[in-house]
Amino acid sequence: MPDWQALVRSQLDGLALKPHERAEVIEELAAHLDEVFEGARRQGFAEQDAAQRCLSEVKDWRDLRRRIQTARTMENIMTNRVKQFWLPSLLTLLLSMGLLALIQIFGPNPWMVARHSGWSLVAPVAVVYIPWLLSLPLIGAMGAYLSNRAGGSQRAVFSCIVFSVLPYLVFFLVALPVIAILDDRVAHNIMFAPLFIGLFAWVLAPGAALLAGGFLIQFFYARRLTGRRLVGN
Amino acid sequence: MIGAGIKRGTAELAVLSILEDGPLHGYEMARRIEEQTKGALRFTLAALYPMLYRMEQRRWIRGSWETSDNGRRRRCYRLTPAGKKKLSPLRQEWSELFQALRRLKKVANA
Repeated sequence: MPDWQALVRSQLDGLALKPHERAEVIEELAAHLDEVFEGARRQGFAEQDAAQRCLSEVKDWRDLRRRIQTARTMENIMTNRVKQFWLPSLLTLLLSMGLLALIQIFGPNPWMVARHSGWSLVAPVAVVYIPWLLSLPLIGAMGAYLSNRAGGSQRAVFSCIVFSVLPYLVFFLVALPVIAILDDRVAHNIMFAPLFIGLFAWVLAPGAALLAGGFLIQFFYARRLTGRRLVGN
Repeated sequence: MIGAGIKRGTAELAVLSILEDGPLHGYEMARRIEEQTKGALRFTLAALYPMLYRMEQRRWIRGSWETSDNGRRRRCYRLTPAGKKKLSPLRQEWSELFQALRRLKKVANA
């Protein structure tokens, strides 16, 4: 008979409960799989088919882990939401904004670069923007890691990764048009090219950089789970 | 075959009802529900335990470890007074729903 305890323990690794509660959950689920296995054997299934039947009891262990955690800590449902979404999201936002400010304050001085060339138009922004953009995969990865560690769903993890570009997106999609409509002191000769460049530079490119880091963490998590499944089989 | 949405809604009622007969562990609970509903309601491990833990948190059921004659440890669940109290209005709600559906000509003829 397969070692169900070992399988459940490895699949529910990261279940954020007190050690004795976690041990209870593992023992209970393993006992259930034991019963399913024996029941299938009594019905005449071969050992391998019976084991397969047990494995089909859970299609997505990650989802089960999340649902057990939510159910067992239901009185702290807000805490779960805070740990899985708000905390990682706000941390990524704080870090990305903080880094941008720090680079502006302590970064290289833009006027040191090529004053009399076309580059001089781009350099003041680029010397701040490019180091910031390069730091974003790390921040996206951190958001994904924290949300994953707290048992966040795929949606929560994705939201955490891209959360720090949402203020810019809101600015471009909502605030800017509203300002243009409501503020009659703003000249209404709207130029779309800079708007799209702004949208690309402050939403799409940072979003892609954050996702690159975040998806890398997701990839490692998925590989770890697949590895466990193979060990379980 | 009963759809997933309806199944979810009836699952708690099924568990509370089956526990009315006496304490049971998860596997036995799932087996009896499947048997009594002739396979219409089937609980996998993934569906059953999060629901049991949620119901336990709501104090509708209480789980405790028991050792069977063959030395196997199992967590048995029993109805709490709060669970018994919950069962009656839950039954009433579903009964009203079924009656309402029966009153609809098209559903009754389905």
